Amino acid sequence: MTAPAVPEEEIVSTLKGQLGNALKDARVERRGRISVIPLRETVREVAASLQRLGFDHAIAVAGVDYPNEKSIEVVYLVSSYSHDELKHIVLSLKVQVDRESPRLPTLTTIWESANLFEREAHEMFGVNFEGHPNLQKLLLQDNWEGPPPMRKDVTFPELA
Amino acid sequence: MRIMVRTDGDLIVEATPDIGYVHRGCEKIAESRNLIKNIPMLERPNIADSSHLNWSYIAPIEELQKVEVPERGRYIRTILCEINRIASHLYGMAIMAGIFSGHTTMYMFGFGDRELFLDLAEMLTGARMTFSFFPPGGVRRDLPRGFKEKLLDTLNYLERHLVAVDRIFVNNPVFIARARGVGILRKEDAIKLGVVGPVLRGSGVPCDVRKDAPYGAYDKVDFEIPTFKEGDSLSRWLVRFEEIKQSMAILRQAIRDIPEGPIARKSPIVVPKGEAIGRIESCRGEINHYVVGTGSDKPYRVKMNTGSFKNLPALPFLLKGARIGDMPIIYGSLDYWPVEADR
Amino acid sequence: MSRAAPGLWVGSLRDLVKRMVGIAPLKQLVNWGRIYSLWPVHLMTACCGAELGAMMSGRYDPERYGMQAAVGAMRQSDLLIIEGTVTKKMLKRVKVVWEQMPNPKYCIAMGDCACSGGLFHDSYSIINELEKAIPIDVYVPGCPPRPEALLNAVIKLREKIRHEEVYARS
Repeated sequence: MTAPAVPEEEIVSTLKGQLGNALKDARVERRGRISVIPLRETVREVAASLQRLGFDHAIAVAGVDYPNEKSIEVVYLVSSYSHDELKHIVLSLKVQVDRESPRLPTLTTIWESANLFEREAHEMFGVNFEGHPNLQKLLLQDNWEGPPPMRKDVTFPELA
Repeated sequence: MRIMVRTDGDLIVEATPDIGYVHRGCEKIAESRNLIKNIPMLERPNIADSSHLNWSYIAPIEELQKVEVPERGRYIRTILCEINRIASHLYGMAIMAGIFSGHTTMYMFGFGDRELFLDLAEMLTGARMTFSFFPPGGVRRDLPRGFKEKLLDTLNYLERHLVAVDRIFVNNPVFIARARGVGILRKEDAIKLGVVGPVLRGSGVPCDVRKDAPYGAYDKVDFEIPTFKEGDSLSRWLVRFEEIKQSMAILRQAIRDIPEGPIARKSPIVVPKGEAIGRIESCRGEINHYVVGTGSDKPYRVKMNTGSFKNLPALPFLLKGARIGDMPIIYGSLDYWPVEADR
Repeated sequence: MSRAAPGLWVGSLRDLVKRMVGIAPLKQLVNWGRIYSLWPVHLMTACCGAELGAMMSGRYDPERYGMQAAVGAMRQSDLLIIEGTVTKKMLKRVKVVWEQMPNPKYCIAMGDCACSGGLFHDSYSIINELEKAIPIDVYVPGCPPRPEALLNAVIKLREKIRHEEVYARS
């Protein structure tokens, strides 16, 4: 099977075909960058489809806090080692979760490399990844009792 | 870091790493500082290859600003990054084959040769390790007079000296007995765990961002990606050894073919609205910066993910079933830099 | 002989030694021994550790100053070089190392971060004022300080020790 001429377009159309209304949006930003926005309830289904397409590992999990929109956006960046035509692509899977009670099913069963990344996002933003094997403190000091430090409303004025 | 180990006699049953001893909150500080003032702060996590961290932070900002670095600037960036790569690999090789093997000879060899490359970097940028040399749009200074001759002299010296290192350390039966067959990471496990850098290439997966998604001048120079299929600690060490030779080839080509022209383009001190991702191959693996901007001079969010943090799951995986005496070699072969993992 | 007598005998012997060592030639001899064999602990705190590693190598050669780096264990060292930022998580462990070192012991704060917080002074997880936890003898500013600056700090520390009383740090 020959590699498609523009794999990014091919991936977006395959995803839209397979998943339909499980996706809010999927588009090609530029060469090598795709962004896929699923609904919160369908994130596992979308991730499983991506894994079947060849994206075999997660390279980062970022949380971005939007207090004005009352949501936290969790961004999974994934890429591929085993498929040559996908190696140059970084696909960002962006999910919005509610800021007051942020919950998301874990994707460590699909991408094992996301284990530590989700743990850090939990610690820094307070996002609860349901089903994660070990959501303990990773980087902060042992007796940290404050709120998740990376949220926008958490400031440390005594240090300014 | 602290490693908590449960053993059954001499064999390790379970190992749990405890990290966070150098967590300084770089990402939180980055949201409250001007984007230029973030450059020295964001290059400190890995001080031994700081130019890669700088580039990976600046590349998404340039993408958002739609500023393209001129060709001469890209070549100078490549030259500094490859000098940095050789210095950092000598550091990593010196620590594993020296300190963690129980002697200091390789440590002195590695650090002594590294000083020559730090001298080159100082001649170019003014600093030994913390360059802050890439503002958005290009590089700060042009190549000084006499740089090309000094670079070629240093490369010729290192080529001769690497022959001695090969004879003394690579073909050394004690080192081979300690490192061959120790901590084997198979190809499937390497892909599943998502490891990067020499750890990945030592397990037979030929992935390197410089070839997969070229940036800078890497699409204009000819080089190979050394890959070994055994997956043990010796392969990971040898990947670094061979990468030094490839870096020397890149440097020779780059300094020969560098074009004339401007070294930088003007760029505004603002992070435009949008998101962008930087992908750079640093010495310990692929680093990514995910930058979100809103139009002010401070970035809204900077997320960094570094090679050491991605390689961390390999440590408990490899230590399970190993002997206690193999622990320093396995740890050294991963070339884990704690400050980079904790940010 | 009462039961307190052995204790009294040892105590008066110790007082005798203290008075003898206060005499100038003996004091100079003891301080000379301390100056020429400062052994640092292997405690790499943060990024300045790379410059400490460079200082311990061949070009800067600290062994001519007696700083033998190969030992590294805390119970056999007398110099603690705190390089780099000390985070709140790390502070407890630094204090454990400091308390395990036998007297007389000295401390050098290397780098801007150890002196006053440095580049990361507004971070939520670092200690800005280290001298409240550990008594510091010499401060070395720089980010990171050059290896020559660190050797200069060792020389200044030697000058400080040379003029100290022998039992000043017990």
